[in-house]
Amino acid sequence: MYISRYMIREVLTATPEMSLPEVRSLLNENHFRHLPVVDKHGQLVGMITDRDLRSAFPSSMLTESERLQAYERVEKATVADIMSTECVGLTPESTLDDALLLFNREGVGALPVLDDGRLVGIFSGGDLLAAYKELFGVGEKGSVLLGIEDDGQSNLMTRIVTLLEQHEIPFTRLLRIHDEEHGNRIYLRLNTYKIASVVNLLREAGIYPAL
Amino acid sequence: MRPPPLLTLITDSRFLDHDTGSDHPEIPARLQTILATLQQGDCSPFLSLQGTRPAERQWLMAAHDEGWLFRFEEAVLSGKTFIDHTDNQICYDSYQVATLAAGAGLVAIDLLEQGQAEQVTARDGLMPHEPGTMAKDGQVSRAPWTAQERLAGAAFCLVRPPGHHAERTRPFGFCFFNNCVVAARYWQQHHGRKRIVVFDFDAHHGNGIQSAFEHEADSLYVSIHEHPSFSYPGTGYADEKGFGAGRGSILNLPLSPGAGDEQFLALLHGPVAEKIALWQPDAMIVAAGFDGHKADEMSGLLYSTGLYEKIGQSVRGWSNLHCGGRLLSILEGGYELTVLGESVEAYVQGLLAW
Repeated sequence: MYISRYMIREVLTATPEMSLPEVRSLLNENHFRHLPVVDKHGQLVGMITDRDLRSAFPSSMLTESERLQAYERVEKATVADIMSTECVGLTPESTLDDALLLFNREGVGALPVLDDGRLVGIFSGGDLLAAYKELFGVGEKGSVLLGIEDDGQSNLMTRIVTLLEQHEIPFTRLLRIHDEEHGNRIYLRLNTYKIASVVNLLREAGIYPAL
Repeated sequence: MRPPPLLTLITDSRFLDHDTGSDHPEIPARLQTILATLQQGDCSPFLSLQGTRPAERQWLMAAHDEGWLFRFEEAVLSGKTFIDHTDNQICYDSYQVATLAAGAGLVAIDLLEQGQAEQVTARDGLMPHEPGTMAKDGQVSRAPWTAQERLAGAAFCLVRPPGHHAERTRPFGFCFFNNCVVAARYWQQHHGRKRIVVFDFDAHHGNGIQSAFEHEADSLYVSIHEHPSFSYPGTGYADEKGFGAGRGSILNLPLSPGAGDEQFLALLHGPVAEKIALWQPDAMIVAAGFDGHKADEMSGLLYSTGLYEKIGQSVRGWSNLHCGGRLLSILEGGYELTVLGESVEAYVQGLLAW
């Protein structure tokens, strides 16, 4: 679950001295929305986003000549002029959960990963989705998620797992969730076509599926 | 009065040799019940049987890596009872039978392209013996079919093992060779029908067909299936449209558990019909699975027998309208023996009703 396993290590970066047109083409060519800004020692000094660039460039509502005039000023500006310097980041010991909570709280799209101030990776919201998708096996070929009512009967987990193992039914995820409002649930990711017979097996043992 | 068009059934008694053991739904009796029902039903004078051939290695490799072919053959010859997963039960004959299943599509396509059907009778309902057309009471009908009528009649491969879960390098869901993809490649590369649509109404998403088509512009996969959050194989989400050149080559239409005829028909006459009309195929393959029936435990869908007749009519109509009547159906799933025969018969009635 450590971010060092999931982060992108080869990070495209900008320098504070880069011109705005230069950094804009860097972002566009690579289809990124965020670029960490580093100094010559690889230390993070800021973040620049496509949103920052869009505010810096002349409005598409201006006339051609108005735009050309404004553009002359923009051409001379550098990354240092518009980057954000107060950045939140992760460390290589951060976990996926740390990343998720940070994304949720800060509303940013990508997080730099810093080792003692030095940029060692980047991790975006998209990377987080991919990591959790893999963790939960969503869309994993040949698998289905089955929900089971957890009505508090004793040894429920043991009984479920024993039944599955006795009948050699492969499963790849097991999740128990307490939810007072909607009812407690156990989720199984079954790796077989035999869903109906698994449901029957559980029902016969007094264990009931739930959606 | 002009007789209705002929439907050619491609099948073979050797399909019964694929043994999946004692506790598996994909059993030889499936084919036996389908053929018995068709033989005894009203459609029988309009059906003609044709045997199959093993798919040539070249065409298996148009859909699969050679490494998979080697691995599969080695597994059966060394006496293994399953391959990769216990779902994929095999016996000594399974590799050979799977090549015959994949070959059925090739035989059918050759017939459709030639515009003729060899006519054979089946004494025991399964094995072709002498020329003639199969009739309910054993009488031989002498109605002469024109080449146009034979072409218009289309072909239906009654095969096992099924194919639509099989991926390029591995089996899935007791599918070993992807019969629909092999047929599609043959139609594209050997007969030059460049744009092929596969319409799949089996209750389960055909992940293997999607994998084969999702990066190409000239193949289209349209599937109505039980929602992947609740159903094997857990793939086939609606937002999947294909990648790159294949953007727009996938149309997944999942149905929630409990969905029935009404929900299916809304999709069939709506987005499916529209997509096929817009896409303009050169030929159509139907992955015909009957496990969405309400009596079939393999899915939570609740289709009626009558729905299959409507599907048959629709695909017949689309293929006549859009691709010169080039229509190939290939059997996929369907496991409840008490309704499987009548479901397939309803589909056949739909194909013939045009």
